[in-house]
Amino acid sequence: MAQPRPARSRALLGDRLAPAVSFVVAVQAVAAVFFIGDALADIRNAGLSSHIAIEAVIALALLAGVAVGALQVRRMWKEGRRRQAALAVAAGALSEVAAQRFREWRLTPAEADVAIFALKGFDVAEIASLRGSAAGTVRAQLARVYEKAGVNSRSALATLFLEDLMTTPLTSREAP
Amino acid sequence: MSGAVHAPRRWDPLVRITHWGIAAAVVINRLVTEGGSLAHVWIGLALAALLALRLGWGFVGPVEARFTSFPPSPRRAVEHVRDILAGRHVSHRSHNPLGALMVYALWASLAVVIASGIAMTGFPPKVHAEGGERPAAASTVLVDEDEDAGEGEGEGEGEAGGESGEIAEEVHEIAANLLLVLAALHLVGVAFETRRGGRQIVLAMIGGKGKIKEP
Repeated sequence: MAQPRPARSRALLGDRLAPAVSFVVAVQAVAAVFFIGDALADIRNAGLSSHIAIEAVIALALLAGVAVGALQVRRMWKEGRRRQAALAVAAGALSEVAAQRFREWRLTPAEADVAIFALKGFDVAEIASLRGSAAGTVRAQLARVYEKAGVNSRSALATLFLEDLMTTPLTSREAP
Repeated sequence: MSGAVHAPRRWDPLVRITHWGIAAAVVINRLVTEGGSLAHVWIGLALAALLALRLGWGFVGPVEARFTSFPPSPRRAVEHVRDILAGRHVSHRSHNPLGALMVYALWASLAVVIASGIAMTGFPPKVHAEGGERPAAASTVLVDEDEDAGEGEGEGEGEAGGESGEIAEEVHEIAANLLLVLAALHLVGVAFETRRGGRQIVLAMIGGKGKIKEP
């Protein structure tokens, strides 16, 4: 089946950033081992000096960077999961609302299908090819959906659902 | 339309990076670098850093990455085997109990490989040969390999200086071989789980696409 189109651009900044920050953290961890090793070797060879003190500071800074970066990754990852869960709740709620409305309006199964595709943003030709029916049929079914719902356009139809969702607050499962 | 959206398990990026980084280091040190060479030693130390990072992550990371999510429990592993035999498919939030045992086994053998490697070269590895009790033969060779190191992937019987050096080398090789056996078993386990439960288990470690999937 064709996937609904919009789901593409949902990756938000944090989702793309977390891997990048993780990568930096890993590189820093490796670099920290190298620097600590270098500093220890220098201390063994030449004793303490200002040069080595600077190296030690750098090594500590790298370790601190690893810790801070790791915590940042954890924060972004949790945030991403939370958003995903919220989206799942919203999606579940929306489909519940849709099913409820469709029952109230006494849509036939075919009309309900067409209505869902219309809400997802497919145009008449696309719906027709998805359902394997003629464009004229789809247009007629869509007209009946609008009539039963008491609206006269696709956007008005969509607004009905949005209204429902905005007046009933979504209950999120848990927000750690 | 069910509309139920399931978020498939996906490892966080730090787990993925350390996993693939360690895997790459093991493969490179086995197949490419020569045992005892400078590259071999530094790649091993980089591996140690990644392992340390992962172990630290096991305390502070997201829930799935924490040790508490996959305790080493033979009892649960047996239960898991029963599930498999009965054809039940129980989904686990983190590693499945058998996988958890494998994880700890891999980490333990990695730790032994790292520790015995460091025992041979010292830390920091004696890059500057002066003053070292075991002068490097060539400038890039930290551990003396046998002169006729033509066999295998350059892992002949080295003759490190001293009794303890020899023991360390012996341990290093045994643990490295054990590591490879475990890694092979790990791949078999993944292949088995993939056949049983689909490609999700692989995708979880690759990441990227497939964040939200409809059942």
